[in-house]
Amino acid sequence: MNTDHEFFLMQLSDSFFPSGMFGLSNGLESLARHGMIKNEEDVLNFISQQIEFQLVPCDCIIFLTAMNAAKNNNIKELVEADNLFYSMRLIKEVRNTSVRSGSQILNCITQITSKQKNKFAKEFQTKIETGQAVGTYPVCLGIAAEFLGIPEESGMRMMLYSFSQNVVAAAIKLGITEHISGQKILALLSDKINFIAKNNKRESLNNIWQLTPMTDIFQMIHEHESSKMFIT
Amino acid sequence: MVLKNKKIPKIGIGGPVGSGKTRLIERVVPVLIERGYRCCIISNDVISKEDAQRMQRILSTELKVMPENMIIGIATGGCPHTAIREDPTINLAVIDEIEKKDPSLDLIIIESGGDNVMTTFSPALADYFIYIIDVSGGDKYPRKGGLGIESCDLLVINKIDLAPHVGADLSIMKRDAEKIRSGRPYVFVNCQTGQGIEDVVEDIIRSILFDKKPVVRKDRTK
Repeated sequence: MNTDHEFFLMQLSDSFFPSGMFGLSNGLESLARHGMIKNEEDVLNFISQQIEFQLVPCDCIIFLTAMNAAKNNNIKELVEADNLFYSMRLIKEVRNTSVRSGSQILNCITQITSKQKNKFAKEFQTKIETGQAVGTYPVCLGIAAEFLGIPEESGMRMMLYSFSQNVVAAAIKLGITEHISGQKILALLSDKINFIAKNNKRESLNNIWQLTPMTDIFQMIHEHESSKMFIT
Repeated sequence: MVLKNKKIPKIGIGGPVGSGKTRLIERVVPVLIERGYRCCIISNDVISKEDAQRMQRILSTELKVMPENMIIGIATGGCPHTAIREDPTINLAVIDEIEKKDPSLDLIIIESGGDNVMTTFSPALADYFIYIIDVSGGDKYPRKGGLGIESCDLLVINKIDLAPHVGADLSIMKRDAEKIRSGRPYVFVNCQTGQGIEDVVEDIIRSILFDKKPVVRKDRTK
């Protein structure tokens, strides 16, 4: 089995990879500030629910669709997935952050991969420049994963792990938990993430849904906070 | 492979909390604008956008030297150095938007959130780096060094009027700044009165704008 892609899997999922994710709490800051998340157990439940009701039924489908579109040079499908995901982001802060992060991933990936692959990425960049697409995070991450030869299962695992790690890091910075408990939370999530990654089936864009109303409401409140540690 | 794209020149301003980064910008920008250069400011703040809002009030509302939408606030969270060095993508994304919106700008100024003495800017983010300290930290400050003090293009030592009140000896700071910076420039300023600001502006024009003559526009708020 060729495992060369594992290097790029580590590179792409590393918090050192320049995607701006360090500035996001994905709603945790606002929920914690208003007393909805108080301890490690709450953080674990929050991540688990976000995975179940946001990432798996929506973000991951967009990510896998983007991987498939990049594989088949299907720019039309890529643009459709991108615009659909953007339209489903209800909060301006979240929309803007997704696009800013996505454009930077795309910019980075075009500079570290071959010219042949760049051609497709540049075509997508042209779509963004001409206002036909926006360049959201899961779409650009999907392009990057495909360009770097990462299989779908590993890509799903990477995406879910990156999200979980990001929220745990935010929880530590906010003082909700400490470093060892943070690692315990990640370890407790491993079974769930591995199960999802192994059993994933790429759904049609028509089947996308999301249901995280409380997080959405608190992210909206977060937009209007005068003092905050995180962008979202 | 293109290592770096040169577009609108960018200045990074870093320094500890309360050293006078925002005040320095508020002093320098009107002078640059008076000389005909058009600027945009990105202000990174740790937990709020207060500095950006203050600059909007002073530079846009009161002085009317630049439009409000040319002063952009970014809340970086607890990692001000990450946002300007290890992962500058948030700032770079905003810069991309500015460059598309107004490619004719002469200068983009990026203010870091208050940070420690090891602050530096990613070369992808800033072409020229000002590090600012103030005398109230004691006259030992330049001598103790740190990446910011040692590697910046211009070291600015602010609040010199406070020196006698905090027991700081400016001659010691001068001696140590010269020694630790191996002859590279430094300036003493008082951002409250404007003393020394012309020297900062001159160094910016000489070092990053390469004495480029600005296109003088009548309406500076556009």
